[in-house]
Amino acid sequence: MRIDPTGASPTVSRRAVLGGVTALATGTLSGCVQQMRSLANRRRPDPVSLTIRTVPADTDSAATQIARSLAMHLDAVGIDVEVIPMAEDELRRTVLINHEYDLYVDRYPKQEDPDFLRPLLHSRFSEEPGWQNPFGYSNLDIDGLLTDQRITENQARESVVSELQRAVARDQPFTVVVFPNEIRAVRTDRFTGWYRFNPTTKITYLTLNQADDADDSSESRPLRVTTTDDRITKNFNPIAVEFRSNGTFTGLLYDQLALRFKGMMWPWLAESWTWEPSPAGNTTVTIELRDDLSWHDGRPVTADDVAFTYRFLADTSLGSRESPVPAPRFRGRISLVEAVEALDDATIRIDFDDTSPEVAVRALTVPIFPKHEWEPKATVADLAGIDLIEGVTEALIWTNPEPIGSGPLQFEHSIAEEVVTLSRYDEHFINQASTTNLGDIFGTGVVFDELQVRVVPSDEAAVQLIAAGNADATASSVDPRVVPRIGRNPDLKLLVQPSRSFYHIGFNAREGPLGNPKFRRAIAQLVDKEFLVTEVFNGYASPAATPLAETSWAPSDLRWEEADPEVPFLGARGDLDVEAAKEAFREAGFQYSDEGHLIGR
Amino acid sequence: MTFHIVLVQIAAIVSVLLFLAALAVIGPRELRASRRRYRERCRAIAPYAVGLGIVLLINRLGRRLGPELSWIIGWNVTGSIYAVEGTFVAELQALASPPLTAYFSFAYIHGYIFLLIFPLLAYFVLEEIEPLHETILAYTFNYGIGLVCYIVFIAYGPRNLMPELVDSLLYTTWPESQFLTTIVNVNSNVFPSLHASLALTVAAMAYRTRGVYPRWWYLAVVLAASVIVATMYLGIHWALDVIAGAALAGISVYAATRTSALLSRADSGQWWVPAYVDRASRVVHQLMKSIR
Repeated sequence: MRIDPTGASPTVSRRAVLGGVTALATGTLSGCVQQMRSLANRRRPDPVSLTIRTVPADTDSAATQIARSLAMHLDAVGIDVEVIPMAEDELRRTVLINHEYDLYVDRYPKQEDPDFLRPLLHSRFSEEPGWQNPFGYSNLDIDGLLTDQRITENQARESVVSELQRAVARDQPFTVVVFPNEIRAVRTDRFTGWYRFNPTTKITYLTLNQADDADDSSESRPLRVTTTDDRITKNFNPIAVEFRSNGTFTGLLYDQLALRFKGMMWPWLAESWTWEPSPAGNTTVTIELRDDLSWHDGRPVTADDVAFTYRFLADTSLGSRESPVPAPRFRGRISLVEAVEALDDATIRIDFDDTSPEVAVRALTVPIFPKHEWEPKATVADLAGIDLIEGVTEALIWTNPEPIGSGPLQFEHSIAEEVVTLSRYDEHFINQASTTNLGDIFGTGVVFDELQVRVVPSDEAAVQLIAAGNADATASSVDPRVVPRIGRNPDLKLLVQPSRSFYHIGFNAREGPLGNPKFRRAIAQLVDKEFLVTEVFNGYASPAATPLAETSWAPSDLRWEEADPEVPFLGARGDLDVEAAKEAFREAGFQYSDEGHLIGR
Repeated sequence: MTFHIVLVQIAAIVSVLLFLAALAVIGPRELRASRRRYRERCRAIAPYAVGLGIVLLINRLGRRLGPELSWIIGWNVTGSIYAVEGTFVAELQALASPPLTAYFSFAYIHGYIFLLIFPLLAYFVLEEIEPLHETILAYTFNYGIGLVCYIVFIAYGPRNLMPELVDSLLYTTWPESQFLTTIVNVNSNVFPSLHASLALTVAAMAYRTRGVYPRWWYLAVVLAASVIVATMYLGIHWALDVIAGAALAGISVYAATRTSALLSRADSGQWWVPAYVDRASRVVHQLMKSIR
């Protein structure tokens, strides 16, 4: 027997019947339409599709290979993927300025103090251009730790930084891949002393010696180095983030208040300094400038220039815009500074807010600019009179074709994509053999009268040039595949040093699934860092789980031992365990379509 | 400087090749006979040579400005090319052996330069001037259209996208050559392959003149094929670059023959303005008169 679901009495009026029928009809119809709407307005889950941006193999073969290997593994787990090679400056513009990317593979410039992680990961920087949180990542716990490490000192800071690294490794806002070795080919028949310091620091160039058996009869003594990176020939602007990596050559032109040497900070343009930490966390430093400083155009370097530089880097529009336009480089260091004041011609006072002296001293390593050159660049950049993009000042896009600094070398000339020539600036204090706070390591100053940086098409070509005696050293690190070529030639010395710069995979957390930390972790587990070290770097690199891996800051539980302690590779010897990897994506909340594509909404 | 040594070496080898080919293909008697026509020939090709010169000059300037412009308006097609043809070039390179690499490196640099210069020489001494005109015009179209393509398309070659599979064979076996090739072009300009398009252009012209120079036709086919295979074998170009290069060659040769015909008609006094334009201008003329 059927039971009337409505439970209505069997005796009903005609009207009620009619009404009931109508209601039933509308009800059925509306139910049907509702179902239809529910289906039609449900967005079809899309197959997940990602792009990986990186540089072409000519620029950095290792970066391209990391991207390719990741792409193959993403493809294996059912993600549609495309590798897009881009010129280096264009890659930086797309990733660091426009934030228009899904994933990228690049090298992060060398770093010294954990505070570099603050601009890189703190959410307050996520709308800024440059290496300022290009990931659009935000995590309140990490924000807190980043702020804490800035104010704490010694052991307290160590434990905060350890905690921070664990949180970063867990969340994978970016994946550290490896720290490559710096590999260089050098000749020692004209200049020696390449081994003493890291070759990406300017100290290496300033402390070279002339070889004992060098031919003294020739009048000019140029030091000729090669680079595969032609950006230095096109742009000398120290704050143009797309054109600078470690900034070694601009560092030779522009001096700074403090110089890092043997892990310590030493007064450089400063004669002396006095630090006054306060219990409330506010730190003040009073700096006395050296009295023998001059710009390359002959004008004196004054406290006013220094104060200007700090104001200018904090806001390149110098207050003329509604919002400040900070320089995209040195942002982390400049953000420590609260106020700067020139007390007299040679004395500057800098106030820091919530910053320990240990961190605050980083702010003294920014390049000092001549006020008379840069003040006119505070205007808004336009294209033929049209203010194209809001909040871009001339200073950010200026190529600075004839840089005027106060460094030990001055600019001579440059031919785009070919060569840059810097010459010894005789008035500089190290070239005057004046005493420095670093002792007598500089002798009578730089031993060459010119530094020629020549652009070469490839690392093979660079080695060829040096072997032929047409160059003295590679200025940039060369690809491990040319190491045998260097080894075979008795005239060449191979220089291998660990570096503080790391390859990483950046995730744009603003883009769909990449905002999900589990999804990022699943991607990180597709990367066999150990295998990449063997295959891509021929062993000239160390796999790493944390961006501070090559420092004493890395906690023991994040040290590399056989595998990544946090996101181990799902597979062995470069072979991905596809089922395990797919399971990781399912765990992250994603599904697979019948055709095997990873789908997401 | 290494670069100059490379240049001198190449110039010497290509000169020897040109000399030998001139003896074998053109023959000493024709070469001597052509000396009488020398002046008149130079006058006849001057405007064409100037045209080619201008395009080459623009190309030269474009080499520096082109990439800058390209990154503003261009379209990065590297990923799309890879999506279509995948690892074809890597599979081709799997056949690599040192003698093959030496042969294709030679074909890519010396063979290619020889292939471009020899027809100019061979057609210069010929009785008819059309092949020479057509060849110069075809080169002009190749370079002109090629430059536009390079601005519109940003593409890196296989060696730049998949270094783990494709070796830069030319540059690893002969690093100095890269000093030359980087002066000629930049690595984001691979689509279409100008090596392929110009080699095919020369082959097409050789086919048209096979009656006079049968030996050149055989030689040109073998050399052009070698150059085309070399572009891929050496990891410099994609197969799609070569296909696009072939299309460019076709367009250039067609356009060159049409233009040459039009220009020669203009030269011989037959004005080549289509008849309806002529008629229209006469109507306008009449109208103007009647208004006055």
